[in-house]
Amino acid sequence: MAKPALILVGADKGGVGKTTVSRTLLDYFASRKIPTRAFDTECPKGTLKRFHPDITDVVDVTSVPDQVKIFDTVESSDAQVTLIDIRAGLMSSTLTALRDIGFIEMTKRSQLTFAVFHILGPSIASLDEIAETSKLLIDARYFLVKNFINNTSFFDWNEKTYSSYFNKIPHAVEVVVPKLNEMAYEQVELSSGSFSAFIADKKESGEPAGYSFVLRGYVRHWLSNVFSEFDRVRVPDLVDAKEAALRARSALKVAELSQSSANS
Amino acid sequence: MGLSMNATTVDCYDALAAPNPAPPRRGVPAPIYVVCSPSRQVGKTMLARLLTEHYLADARPVAGFDIADEGPGLADFLSHHVTIPNIQDMRGQVRFFDGLIESGDVTKIIDLSHREFANFFTIVDKIGLFDEARRRSIEPLILFLIDPNPVSAKAYEILRRRFNGTSMLPVRNLTVARGLPYGASFPHASTLVASLELSVLGPAARAIVEREKFSFLDLSNQASPQSNIPARTRAELDAWFRRARFQFREIELSLIREQILTSLS
Repeated sequence: MAKPALILVGADKGGVGKTTVSRTLLDYFASRKIPTRAFDTECPKGTLKRFHPDITDVVDVTSVPDQVKIFDTVESSDAQVTLIDIRAGLMSSTLTALRDIGFIEMTKRSQLTFAVFHILGPSIASLDEIAETSKLLIDARYFLVKNFINNTSFFDWNEKTYSSYFNKIPHAVEVVVPKLNEMAYEQVELSSGSFSAFIADKKESGEPAGYSFVLRGYVRHWLSNVFSEFDRVRVPDLVDAKEAALRARSALKVAELSQSSANS
Repeated sequence: MGLSMNATTVDCYDALAAPNPAPPRRGVPAPIYVVCSPSRQVGKTMLARLLTEHYLADARPVAGFDIADEGPGLADFLSHHVTIPNIQDMRGQVRFFDGLIESGDVTKIIDLSHREFANFFTIVDKIGLFDEARRRSIEPLILFLIDPNPVSAKAYEILRRRFNGTSMLPVRNLTVARGLPYGASFPHASTLVASLELSVLGPAARAIVEREKFSFLDLSNQASPQSNIPARTRAELDAWFRRARFQFREIELSLIREQILTSLS
């Protein structure tokens, strides 16, 4: 049985890979044939829309009419998943707005999943941001994404500080997006299509594109690792009503993950 | 805003598992030979030279690739037919691996250094080279020179598991692997009905073939620098080359047989 899900992808910092992670999620849901729609809050030009034009609308998430357009239709839409790529700087204010309009409270009572993919930056400021954001998300599925695609180093963080923050958010689940070779990433950017279209060597029109086989191979290998990571953290459960009911008991907690990693 | 995935989109996601449907098979295959071993001094370059000269002797198109970091390599012996790719950086990889599968009409022979062994096969695995080659009717064939070093048997087993479905022939160079059984350590990992063995050359003949610029093709040419080779040594080298070529032909026949069986199934 399916249930609708609202997924927010965001961070308060810019350049940490929000749109990249959004794109991988859209590819992931499409590969599993889960109907999905997306909102790009990079208004007015849009970034996500460039890669997934068929399913993406550009919106101003700070405007009430656009908020109505997104949040009032989550349950009634044909799409099972509504994904919002939140522009840099708007993560906390969007969550606050969702709380104020009663959306977060409503998700507790309805057959709707609310999930946040919080993309972490390389600085300690990101950790403060986690603590701040998590207060609003006690009842949501909360994914902390370490995005290595742009070679970001998380080792700058003090491991003790890092662990103490994670322990404060026991319901959070860590997701790791591995690095993709720069040249391969750049070529996908230039193609202006989805990762999957690049792998399949297809233009938007469906014609063969003639991309390098080697670069397509690297992207295929990388995307399959990203998909495995989404499988590991049970992303499909977001739209599975039965699984969602069991979620509270079976969710992987970061504290447990850290413990098992330490033991292994 | 459309919500459903169109046919193109669905095709794209299927491509994650299988990039493209197999095109129709052509006539005679032009394979990619990967001559390799994780050990040094087991005869990789010699085998690559013999194979390249086998194709040159028949005036068939062939391209050699010397992925070696110490000389003398394939390029030192057959400089006009061999290029030296750089697989250390991404641009070099794109140039080399994209080129390998670009044309199915030219046989490619890769002389793979023991130092590049792991890196090469890691890249090949990541980009799915062998699967893509087969989809383009280009048969990859790993020629693995066996030797008594346990590292060699372990590497063979890893390749066999990782590239399950790709033909891999254990090659016995009797100079280093005399008496070494194929058996459990080096099981035949191919449906090809063929085997490959390099017999031992006498010291005089061996010294000659190790000279740079030596060519088996020049043996019968009286005007070549090889014309001063003693008749007995020349006969030994000639017989050795013919024996190797006979085995190469058996491999090629096996490849054709495989192609016919595949097209019938």
